[in-house]
Amino acid sequence: MTSPVEPIANLDADNEQLLVDRARLGDRHAFDLLVIQYQSRLLQLVSRLVPNQADALDVLQDTFVKAYRSLASFRGDSAFYTWLYRIAVNTAKNHLAARAKEGRDLSYDADGQEMDRHASLHDLGSPDAETDAQQLQGAILDAIERLPEDLKRALTLRELEGMSYDDIAQTMQCPIGTVRSRIFRARDQVVQEVSSRFPETFL
Amino acid sequence: MTETLRKSVSALVDQEATEFEARRITDSLKTRSDLKSYWAACYAIRGAVKGEPVVGTELLERINAELDGHSESSIISDSFDQADRTHVTFLPAKDPLPNRFTALAGQLAVAASIAFAVVIGVKVVAPVEMQPSVAQSEPLEVIKFQMPVQKETVSVSGVSSEVESTGQPVARILTERDMKQLVSDRLSSYLVRHAENTAVVGGTSVLPLARIMGRDEPIE
Repeated sequence: MTSPVEPIANLDADNEQLLVDRARLGDRHAFDLLVIQYQSRLLQLVSRLVPNQADALDVLQDTFVKAYRSLASFRGDSAFYTWLYRIAVNTAKNHLAARAKEGRDLSYDADGQEMDRHASLHDLGSPDAETDAQQLQGAILDAIERLPEDLKRALTLRELEGMSYDDIAQTMQCPIGTVRSRIFRARDQVVQEVSSRFPETFL
Repeated sequence: MTETLRKSVSALVDQEATEFEARRITDSLKTRSDLKSYWAACYAIRGAVKGEPVVGTELLERINAELDGHSESSIISDSFDQADRTHVTFLPAKDPLPNRFTALAGQLAVAASIAFAVVIGVKVVAPVEMQPSVAQSEPLEVIKFQMPVQKETVSVSGVSSEVESTGQPVARILTERDMKQLVSDRLSSYLVRHAENTAVVGGTSVLPLARIMGRDEPIE
């Protein structure tokens, strides 16, 4: 990794680029935000390539570790997610190849050793964890359903349709500041409600 | 966490925060762990709405634990094998030049262009353009490069010039005195124009205008 790392100049100073630049300079907190931002999306991708949930999480972990260590190589010629996507796919392929090789070797090993080696990976992909995740997801959707109509619509247009604040303002025929405020209040209410049902989940 | 800060985080999640808000949040990350939690909550909502799998905080903890175990950033992906390197595109760096170097390079380019124009203008263009006035002052020898053809004199606006019957201008050899006069006139003209243009544009002149205007006498 070269040093010092210059900010990427060919992209405009959008919000994500600021985080990427900070992470490239070694700001782990900024990198944490990027991990949180993309972990669900990447897990969905990796899970299609690596069916085992525990293995998928392992691949996801490797993906982010590799990404952090190779951040200096990211020049901003593609979107940051595209760059992560490539690393995730290659990591998954390598993982599958290694597992296939291990599978052949395991015919000479005891199954118990293999289970011990990957025991820690099953913590995240265990049925209990999946159940908790499903409950959390259900609680979030329930909380959104109970939102006032204007807040729910603004949040849905943003999260489901992916519309910009400007487009939402035109659609809802209100100022852009109102859109910003509605989306914030919608999220805030959902977070408060879910936090009361699942303490220490968010805050 | 204040409502203003949460509002800024919400906008940052949507890539709609102002640069000031974004910088305030990233600057506060080191001291405000609740910012990260609220960020995670906002993305959990997004993931739930889109039907993406919910990932808890354990993954982030494991990533950080592994990175802390190999905190030296100089260790470039010891597990990042060759297969990864061939698939992930690493494009060449495009490091921008600092502004001061760019400005200096621009000034040098302008100066070089002017010097080039002066030299070329004096040595190449001047003899042909100034030919009539020279012809008036002193008869010149005509050199024929082709088979001898009939010579005719053409008069345009009181200026005489000899043209071959083929229609091509005839090259002439100027005397040393004429050449010095031409060089002096052309150089003075270029430098005065350059100084005047520079004064209008506001750039840096090669020579002060006063020095140029003082060069009335031909170069000897």
